[in-house]
Amino acid sequence: MRALLLLIALGLLAGCDRAPEVTFADSSITLPDDPMDLPDLPGRDAVIANCTACHSPSTMLQQPKVNREKWESQVKKMVEIYKAPIDPQAVPAIVDYMVAVQAQQADTEAP
Amino acid sequence: MTSGNDASGKLTRRALIAGAGGVALTAPVLAQKLIREGVIDLGLPGGPSERPLTPSFPGKGEMIVQRIRPPLLETPMSVFNEGTITPNDRMFVRWNWDMPTSVKAAAHRVAVGGAVKAPVSLTLDDIASAGEHIEVTAINQCAGNGRGLSDPRVTGTQWGNGAMGCARWSGVRLKDVLAKAGVDAGATRVRFAGLDVPLTDGAPQFIKSIPMDIAMRDDVLVAWGMNGEPLPLLHGYPLRIVVPGWFSTYWVKMLSTIEVLTSEDDSYYVAKSYRVPAAPITPEDKDFDTVAITAMPPRAFITSHADGAVVARGKPLTLRGIAMGGDAALARVDLVGEDGLLLPCKLGPDEGLFAYREWTVTIPNVAADLPNIGVRAATITGAVQPDKLNWNPSGYARNVIERITLRAS
Repeated sequence: MRALLLLIALGLLAGCDRAPEVTFADSSITLPDDPMDLPDLPGRDAVIANCTACHSPSTMLQQPKVNREKWESQVKKMVEIYKAPIDPQAVPAIVDYMVAVQAQQADTEAP
Repeated sequence: MTSGNDASGKLTRRALIAGAGGVALTAPVLAQKLIREGVIDLGLPGGPSERPLTPSFPGKGEMIVQRIRPPLLETPMSVFNEGTITPNDRMFVRWNWDMPTSVKAAAHRVAVGGAVKAPVSLTLDDIASAGEHIEVTAINQCAGNGRGLSDPRVTGTQWGNGAMGCARWSGVRLKDVLAKAGVDAGATRVRFAGLDVPLTDGAPQFIKSIPMDIAMRDDVLVAWGMNGEPLPLLHGYPLRIVVPGWFSTYWVKMLSTIEVLTSEDDSYYVAKSYRVPAAPITPEDKDFDTVAITAMPPRAFITSHADGAVVARGKPLTLRGIAMGGDAALARVDLVGEDGLLLPCKLGPDEGLFAYREWTVTIPNVAADLPNIGVRAATITGAVQPDKLNWNPSGYARNVIERITLRAS
């Protein structure tokens, strides 16, 4: 392998006038849709208005169960570090919603 | 133990945990179970643990969906049983911020600036002709790989262990690209930015830097090739940084800016994020010093058998999997149990310092169930996988021994 690389390298050095052997073509993709599958609980509108521009609903529903204080600090982090334009009035409703969603999840996953 | 068996006779996860007899258990690596068509259970302690499996992302085969936009896609563990190179269509995908879904090759430029003699704006052809073409086989692993298995759990992307993969990366040396601009004396670090940008004004851009001595290594690349193909857009087309042995947070994708620094890097994703405790902590600790996460520690995985699988009693059993040294060569892999079962594993072909290495081991006679067996990798520099998770609040750099239980029947 090392020998092969060396041969390629020597070949390149020998032919340094020619165009590079690598060619680049334009690249384009289409991503799948991101459905808004959020459970219908109080605060859902506040979450859609303030959170879903950046967060896939699917991801929001996959977080481990944490307490209200942790959700409050998460929202604070989004505002302070990531400069999320969150309406301060909506913060309690967002936190309520995440706590309620996780309570509902805990109920359905309970053994 | 019968009450712990589900209808199909397989040992349930609850029974395994209940039967652990006080042994500090972490969620087994191959606890992944296909629940039903298109849904996989990652075995994340406490849940939610189910994730969709879909082949619907462009250029990708069946992947575990952690997030749709920006995409976070995880590789199912079964892929690692098929070989030591991860195919492009099964490599995990991770973007911090939204990325463009279209790149025009002729219009793309890489700005090389900062503490340089003459800033330059390079075309893709300029990059491709910057120096010798190099190929490196290297594992690309997210700093948060296995975060979802943390116990107690932590917030962030809830990865199982599939946010990793190994590919053959081709490109030119970063130092040859830097030479196009000429690095000034006094340079300390090299910082990279890509085309992915924050969705909100004022949020930190995803930029990362590496120390000068790492940047000048012969195997640190500006890469355009992945397993012999052009980088797929989801993997950073047209160019990405490759730092073999270091976590992929430094492998900046859709590279558009290279900046030479003359001081420490105080940008958010280096100074504030992607950091681990400087010394071990407990979940109760609040104030502690941190260091940037950099080089990868050793890891090993059983890929031939899923957790709870039934094996033949009274017969030999061969197990197989993959191991990695991280930033140092793998020295050995050992099969370990909870009561002294310990066999050295046979290592497969050496495909390079930074590649996965296959291992196999044969237990001469399976006399009883094999509870909590795992494989433990060690490097030539003395790093050994720990028995206990190095818990940290961001769930970074997991490398605890991953264990499974096999039933003899």
